[in-house]
Amino acid sequence: MLPGVAAKTKAVLTGRRGAPLMQLYWDLFRLVRKGAVYSTTTTWIFRLAPVAGLVTPLLALGLLPLDGRHALFGFTGDFVGFAALLALGRFTLVLAALDTGSSFEGMGASRDATFASLVEPALFLSFVVLALASGQLSLEGMLGGTQALPWGAAAPALAMAAASLFFVLLTEASRMPVDDPATHLELTMIHEVTVLDHSGPDLALLLYGAALRMALFAALLVGVLASRGRLPGPAALGLLVAGLLTVAVAVGVVESSMARFRLSRVPQFLVAASVLASLGAILQLLS
Amino acid sequence: MERLADLLLLLVLLFGFLILGTTRLTTCIRAVAVQGGLLGLLPLVLRPQWSVHTLGLAAGTILVKAIVLPWFLIWAIREAAVRREVEPRVGYVASLVLGILAVAVAGAVAVRLPVPGEHPVLLVTTSLACVIMGLQVLATRAKALIQVVGYLMLENGIYVFGLTSLDRVPFLVEVGVLLDVFVGVFIMGIVVFHINREFDSLDSARLTELRD
Amino acid sequence: MNLCFWGLATIVAAAGCAAVLRSRPVLADRAYGLLVAVGCVVAAAPAVSVLAGGSAADIQIPIPAPSGPWVFGLDRLSAAFLLVVLGPGLASALYGLRALGGDGSRRGVATARALFAVELAALALVVLARAVVPFLVAWEAMAVLAYFLVTFDNERAEVRRAGWVYLVATHVGTLALIALFASWAGAGGGLTFDALASRAGSLPARGALVLCLALFGFGLKAGLVPLHFWLPDAHASAPTHVSALMSGVVIKMGIYGLIRVVSLLGAPPAWWGWLVLVSGVLSGVLGVLWALAQHDLKRLLAYHSVENIGIILIGLGTGALGAAYGVPLVAVLGFAGAVLHTMNHALFKSLLFLGAGATVHATGTRIMDRLGGLGRRMPFTWVSFLIGSVAIVGLPPLNGFVSEWVIYLGLLRGGTAGGSIRLVLLGVVGLAIIGGLALACFAKVCGVVFLGVPRSDAALHGHEVAGGMLGPMFGLAGACAFIGLAPGLAVGPALVVGASIARIPFPASGSEVFAGIVRLGLWSLVLVVLLALGAVAWAAVRRRRSLTRAETWGCGYALQNERMQYTASSFAAPLLAAYGRLAGVHETHAHGGRAFHSQARELVLDGAILPAWSAVRGVLARLRPLQHGRLWVYLLYVIAILLLLLLYLAQGASP
Repeated sequence: MLPGVAAKTKAVLTGRRGAPLMQLYWDLFRLVRKGAVYSTTTTWIFRLAPVAGLVTPLLALGLLPLDGRHALFGFTGDFVGFAALLALGRFTLVLAALDTGSSFEGMGASRDATFASLVEPALFLSFVVLALASGQLSLEGMLGGTQALPWGAAAPALAMAAASLFFVLLTEASRMPVDDPATHLELTMIHEVTVLDHSGPDLALLLYGAALRMALFAALLVGVLASRGRLPGPAALGLLVAGLLTVAVAVGVVESSMARFRLSRVPQFLVAASVLASLGAILQLLS
Repeated sequence: MERLADLLLLLVLLFGFLILGTTRLTTCIRAVAVQGGLLGLLPLVLRPQWSVHTLGLAAGTILVKAIVLPWFLIWAIREAAVRREVEPRVGYVASLVLGILAVAVAGAVAVRLPVPGEHPVLLVTTSLACVIMGLQVLATRAKALIQVVGYLMLENGIYVFGLTSLDRVPFLVEVGVLLDVFVGVFIMGIVVFHINREFDSLDSARLTELRD
Repeated sequence: MNLCFWGLATIVAAAGCAAVLRSRPVLADRAYGLLVAVGCVVAAAPAVSVLAGGSAADIQIPIPAPSGPWVFGLDRLSAAFLLVVLGPGLASALYGLRALGGDGSRRGVATARALFAVELAALALVVLARAVVPFLVAWEAMAVLAYFLVTFDNERAEVRRAGWVYLVATHVGTLALIALFASWAGAGGGLTFDALASRAGSLPARGALVLCLALFGFGLKAGLVPLHFWLPDAHASAPTHVSALMSGVVIKMGIYGLIRVVSLLGAPPAWWGWLVLVSGVLSGVLGVLWALAQHDLKRLLAYHSVENIGIILIGLGTGALGAAYGVPLVAVLGFAGAVLHTMNHALFKSLLFLGAGATVHATGTRIMDRLGGLGRRMPFTWVSFLIGSVAIVGLPPLNGFVSEWVIYLGLLRGGTAGGSIRLVLLGVVGLAIIGGLALACFAKVCGVVFLGVPRSDAALHGHEVAGGMLGPMFGLAGACAFIGLAPGLAVGPALVVGASIARIPFPASGSEVFAGIVRLGLWSLVLVVLLALGAVAWAAVRRRRSLTRAETWGCGYALQNERMQYTASSFAAPLLAAYGRLAGVHETHAHGGRAFHSQARELVLDGAILPAWSAVRGVLARLRPLQHGRLWVYLLYVIAILLLLLLYLAQGASP
């Protein structure tokens, strides 16, 4: 639903009425009922990618303490697992794109891999800031639990990490100014062209996986910005939902106020994200 | 108050990175203007018992750094019809990475540096980092105008360092520094303006052609 | 321990078999395979028992002075590295049976087999030696035998060149090692490792000289940047199973040596830890970046070895820093991560080399841009290569992820401790950059080589390789999956080894690691189960829909051909462009911009060492007039030198 919110925000800000919020679900429903076309070039990896694209963000969601206390599956150092899961999803997706043998998908795959690789340090550095601020090595410990992140003492560092995570979110969810989710010109889009040859139910899974990915990072961001360890369960979940919507609106605002970067400028944007996070880490080390 | 000071210093650093990372000349100038404005607010935050001294310093700094100098630079761009790109000798990405290294080194030095009096670590860090970044801009950007921005960053760093001895040294020092830079920038601006008329180019490497 | 030697003897016997039964190749191959397999298993048994908590007595062969007794022993560190040697070594040896000489050409094959088996034994002896002389002898045997194995295809000029560069590099390294041990043992008192350890405290400057020589000599073997220059050529030119052994095992001996020196010396000074950490980050990032720029499949894999050595050194540096600053948990995690990653890299790198060898075997080319679509033609090779790729990128649920996790934990625990050690967080940045780049790189390899449409006739007519080559690959892939899915069984012993390197008892605060590893294993299992269930369920959904098969959609272009696919170079181009000159890509446009060619230079060898060498040669050429063949002038030289030496001695002797 979050892409819907972002799209709606964008529409409202640009003075249109926009598609309904639940449009994505309609699309999914329609796609699932359709048949699929498979290229004669493709192999099993092409069919595995949609499944991996759904399973990896789901399992990564299991690492986050969504109710503000416990994660489904926390363990020491699971932030490495979090990043690696998303990388696994990305890896299969890129392979599926190359599987088609089309130069368009190749282009998308190449850009996808490039940006994913440049965004990795930013993600890890943000985790470093969180770990330094909380002294914990699991996402559950960093974001959940009663001893919340010390927003009093480590505010600047955490703010840097949150900003960096927002950049990561924009990249991972293929939003402006890195990618343009709305364009349908093959040469200018990234994620959309990577999944160009998937159709029907497969496309539905991929779309849903991408939306989950966005929700995942939004939830991570909400976890950093608003610790909910001391709230009762329902309130914590309510706050999470409110937070997710806020993030989606923020994405919409960013999208409507910025143009997509020239491709050669995107790495600079991603390095800027890493710089923000490392600034946070340095600040945390100094205090 | 400590928090607020940290926030201001952090913003100063971030605008420093903006200068390193942007492609637009005007963005650079605006960023350095904002930096100046933040620095002007800094004495008010650091010394909550506002005396005439601090108020004057703040007002003077904001006036010169955030309003007059940037306006002057932007005027120079318009008058000299300079192209809007920064044209770096070292790429933007490398500049950003060098910048973060500068902050790291500054932090490492700041922790060890025996600065008299009680100051947030970030104050000294920011000051050193600003100086290094300013030098970096001077060294890696070709255009004379952005080199002025580099000088200003450098001066901002020195200014922040001056804040550590706000109580002991009279503010005349600050004003003196400001004046120096003001004159420097003024002359630079005029030179830039005239060079541009004569040579159609602002690449400082070509200044060597003026030797004879 | 005795069992170990029996195993090694069996392996050497296999070499004899191959050499003697030259006239009856089928019988020779069978006997060779059987003997190597039996030997490896027998030799590995004591190592496993030591890792499981047992112990083995040292063996002493009394040899009179000057070398002193030859001592061999099997402690935990040796046991771990013995497994590194024997597992991938066995797989490569069996693979070599089919790959080398399987096509009927027998020239030099028997010799190559025999040498390979002796090389295995030499490697094992390097790990087992407990005294300086046997260590150096085994080391040199390993290095020289490797030279002969690398230059198997010696009719090709580039192979000979690679062999020479390798030989020079390895001997410079050996020279450094001799200097190392000489400076350490210089004062007398025995040449066994125990004797060296007891003298560690009396070394000047806390062993600074020894540590620097070790980093140079062993680093040259391990291939850390900028000492890696010999590695890509040597690994790419060797026959595949030799490449697998070189990349998987031989370069690990450099790591073994470094760890051994550290464990003999005790906690090294902090600056050395930083040096290792920083060179690890450099090796890792530059190695993978240069790998990304390669067009040649085997060269690419060779550069990935540089990268993984970098990761291992990050672990090692973290461990050394933990020891230097007295943070036991960090020391143990760092060393354990280094050892575990060594093991893992040995497994997946040999797997990848064997897979690459299979594709070269099937298509006859190593240039990636001429391959493509091999996944359909070689499904088993493709699956095992994919497993190796996922493992090397460090993705769950395979073993690379496990060891990187351990190293990350070490780094982060260093970061949350107090004091200067917190700067180890630099390693996190390095590992993250490496991880991202490695993903892009292996996506490129898998995609370009195995997926899409064949880009040449060679790839079109590719075929699956024989079972004799697939078997070893499956074995290695199975080992990767096993460590990934049962990480406790690998991490537990690795932590114990780590503690034994740091010479401290396992810290109580490490229990979080054990708890973590159990949950990590469960989590990996859940991932696999979910993926499998998802795939099955989705296949069921698909079956109910109408499926159409058609050409890949060309966005309206009607004339698509296989040359229009994204190539390896175009895939990597944007990422390499982001790193600019560091990537070492040389681009040329020709025919007025209509033709475009990019090639990757070896920055250190072509960019620094060869120019430096020609400069030195230029200077030396001026000394030529000194050599003019008149005897009396030479005698004058001798007398002059003698006088100088005497003067020097007199000056030294005067009070």
